[in-house]
Amino acid sequence: MAKRKSLIKIKPRKYKVGDIVKVDFIVIHPMDTGMRKDKKTGKIIPAHYINDVQFFYNDKLVTKLVVWESVSTNPYFSINMKITGPGKIKVVYKDNLGEVNEKTKKVKPKKG
Amino acid sequence: MQRRGFLKGLAGACALTAVGVPSVTLAAKKKPKGPNEMPYKKALEVITHGKGAVDSPKVKLVVPEIAENGAVVPVKVTVDHPMEPGNYVQEIHILASKNSNARCADLFLTPENGKAYFATRIKLGGTQEVVAVAKLGDGSYVKAHKSVKVTIGGCG
Repeated sequence: MAKRKSLIKIKPRKYKVGDIVKVDFIVIHPMDTGMRKDKKTGKIIPAHYINDVQFFYNDKLVTKLVVWESVSTNPYFSINMKITGPGKIKVVYKDNLGEVNEKTKKVKPKKG
Repeated sequence: MQRRGFLKGLAGACALTAVGVPSVTLAAKKKPKGPNEMPYKKALEVITHGKGAVDSPKVKLVVPEIAENGAVVPVKVTVDHPMEPGNYVQEIHILASKNSNARCADLFLTPENGKAYFATRIKLGGTQEVVAVAKLGDGSYVKAHKSVKVTIGGCG
């Protein structure tokens, strides 16, 4: 199973409890549609795309995403989340060949 | 008369080649269909369970008017609707009207999101409309659409 590079970013960087923040998730993935041809061999590259992304906040499902092949290479997803306290954000992503990966980021709200 | 006949024959031959050659190249170049092919109308029907969606100013869709590269088209959707338990934006769908699979991404939200917002980047095969459909708390569907001019397609 290939290990994928992924990134979670919380914007803005400083936030308090009760704030609504942007959570960006980026993953390095080819997202092949199954419609493109290999230029050297002339064969169709089989479809390989992420089809399921789930955002968890303290192990509670916040957002579920069903993704199809027409999302760009190295997909980027951005959603909003309400910060209710310290904990972690976990993103679990699956692709159509059965690869399952996850990425976590700690949530540290500022006091005051 | 001989000349006229010759010209007629020539024109006929030209017409034949003009008709014949493109059809052959078209057949050879016919794009392979994706694994989940679904035209736009059917996708909209599946998403809204046959109810259909109404155009509404509540849904704000931000896409570039002209996309130089169809492989990376940024899309941003916000829905102007409260996110309280019991009455919140339940789903956001992004569709591209002329892609072989019109569905791009389906988002299932909960009140913990705080605000109905979604941004991503999609591929567009050519000049077409991008449509955002949102399901509100009362089960109704609203949508917004915008056309994007694509100079280089992103699927081939």
